[in-house]
Amino acid sequence: MGDIGVENKRKKIIIDTDPGIDDAMAIFLALQSPEVDVIGLTTIYGNVRTTLATTNALHLLEVAGREDIPVAEGSHTSIKEVPKLRFAAFAHGCDGLGEINIVPPKGKPIPQSASDFLIEKANEFPGEVTVVALGPLTNIAKAIESNADFPQKIRQIVILGGAFSVNGNVNPATEANIFGDPEAADIVFTCGADIIAVGINITHQVVLTDKDLEDLASSSGKYAKYVCNILKFYIDYHLEAYNIRGAYLHDPTVMFVAIDPSLMTYAEGVVRVQADGIFRGLTLFDNMKKRWGEVTEWSNKPSVKVAVSVDGDKIIHLLKERLKNS
Amino acid sequence: MVQSLDLEVIADSDNCPVSLPVQRTKLIIDTDPGIDDAITILMAFQLPEFEVIGLTTIFGNVLTKDATRNALHLCEVAGFPDIPVAEGCPEPLKRGPPFIADFIHGSDGLGNTLPPPPKNKKIDKNACEFLVDKVSEYPGEVTILALGPLTNIALAVKKDRSFASKVKKIVILGGSFFASGNINPAAEANVYGDPEAADIVFTCGAEIVIVGLNVTTQVLMTDQDLCELRDSGGRYGRYIYNISQFYRDWHVKSDGINGIYLHDPTCFVALLKPHLFEFKKGAVRVETQGICTGHTLMDLGLKNWNSNNPWTGVRPVSVAWTVDAAAVINLIKELLKKA
Repeated sequence: MGDIGVENKRKKIIIDTDPGIDDAMAIFLALQSPEVDVIGLTTIYGNVRTTLATTNALHLLEVAGREDIPVAEGSHTSIKEVPKLRFAAFAHGCDGLGEINIVPPKGKPIPQSASDFLIEKANEFPGEVTVVALGPLTNIAKAIESNADFPQKIRQIVILGGAFSVNGNVNPATEANIFGDPEAADIVFTCGADIIAVGINITHQVVLTDKDLEDLASSSGKYAKYVCNILKFYIDYHLEAYNIRGAYLHDPTVMFVAIDPSLMTYAEGVVRVQADGIFRGLTLFDNMKKRWGEVTEWSNKPSVKVAVSVDGDKIIHLLKERLKNS
Repeated sequence: MVQSLDLEVIADSDNCPVSLPVQRTKLIIDTDPGIDDAITILMAFQLPEFEVIGLTTIFGNVLTKDATRNALHLCEVAGFPDIPVAEGCPEPLKRGPPFIADFIHGSDGLGNTLPPPPKNKKIDKNACEFLVDKVSEYPGEVTILALGPLTNIALAVKKDRSFASKVKKIVILGGSFFASGNINPAAEANVYGDPEAADIVFTCGAEIVIVGLNVTTQVLMTDQDLCELRDSGGRYGRYIYNISQFYRDWHVKSDGINGIYLHDPTCFVALLKPHLFEFKKGAVRVETQGICTGHTLMDLGLKNWNSNNPWTGVRPVSVAWTVDAAAVINLIKELLKKA
């Protein structure tokens, strides 16, 4: 069967991303993983504004020598058309890549919007495309709203988002991606697609330490070197915010779900997102085991899988291995 | 019955007995009896550490007026018929007529056992006035055990600006911390019953202890425990067994368990024997809008926020985190058996 066999076994993925230091690591990880075939990048605001996310995505593909992968620019506003004003420059730098002053990329995004690109690929390869969502869920929600069978045609949506039974990271109630567009998140979580959500209850168990950074720096791998350069800003942020010497690797952790889901365990249930009040952006999970006195907002909704445990050390080990061997 | 100071007999350096006065904790119980409220009230009355100076009533398991009737009845059962019972608010601060859990506690709140009407009457003062007056009369001495929605206490906080600093402690059964609610996945019954009141109380700056479902659902009194109580020959054993049957049947349906959660008694034990629990301290807020109305959320302080948020500047409260469930069950059983 040779090459054709390998090609067919590789999982087609589209990465929806707001690069972002940990996004950059996740993208390089995906490009270096034989289990997945990156067929496109779609961009969203979050760590940076959307246009800068597009620039960074094009740049990262240039660094990787993968200018063949299309980049489709996504929404500049939330699904309720509120313009985005809050970006995480304090964590990722004002350029989103640790303020390393990148050379502007030569490439350009394709003319198609992110949500149209998602719909087109889902129709072209029904049941084959996994979306790995590393930022607010606006593009995916737009695809769902404009195409009724998108949830059934897409193979799986793997989401970095939410905080399940733990405090959030924007404020005690909410995690950054969900806070970025809570209405979009609720649309996605209840759309009926095959969904895996990985929240910060999981990603806070995956810590890249100073030692790991030294290990990466000692390697001559192309991606390892690049990543070491951008990580300094991110690590400094974590010391100030969390008093830890290291960095949480949110996006790479989620990418591993697409690569090898057996690295985590999951619970099945209904997830709803709070859109109002002081807990706006809260993700609330119902394990569907208790009988309620009356119909609730979790009743009669499609269920999703939520990651509940992870082998953090194994993920760090695998990530370093793949980045060093680039 | 006159409640006098208890005297503790100890030995002095020559081994001669010496009597010293022991200060009993003045306790007001705000309650919506309710089967687990009933168990708690009967426990509190017979403990020498506490001087129950009044009961205030609220809706929740029953309507407020039925809570009043049940509270008066329980004072009689406990042998303290003259304890003042002050009726509280008939509905939450906003939101109109309350949601009543009669499918859980029965239409009479006491498992449809239909007790005889009490002989005494409620006092003229309402609950809010009673709370404010007693806390003013004994500043720094009054503990409130809040077993229902927090409407009365929120009204007291708003009525008297010194209430929060004069009350000794408010120990609250309410909320669920990083665990499911019991009305819906987001909300626990007492907080859901009046979310605005709960938010007012949790942020008022008083010394507060909150015991939520994350802890109380670890404390289960099984069918076997209930039978033991019934057969113990103690004064309350048979009474509690009888009122608990309806409540127990609900637990089979809702959670698939053969027994009852002891929410209110567990909360009371957190006041009586705090060393059986671990607590975490943090600011707590309540959501009052949208699908998660009634959700309680505490800031565990693991992150240094880079801007103000609704938890900033709110005095941390103590939230029960773990419990020695076996020790709590045994304590409750012993107290109820020996009456």
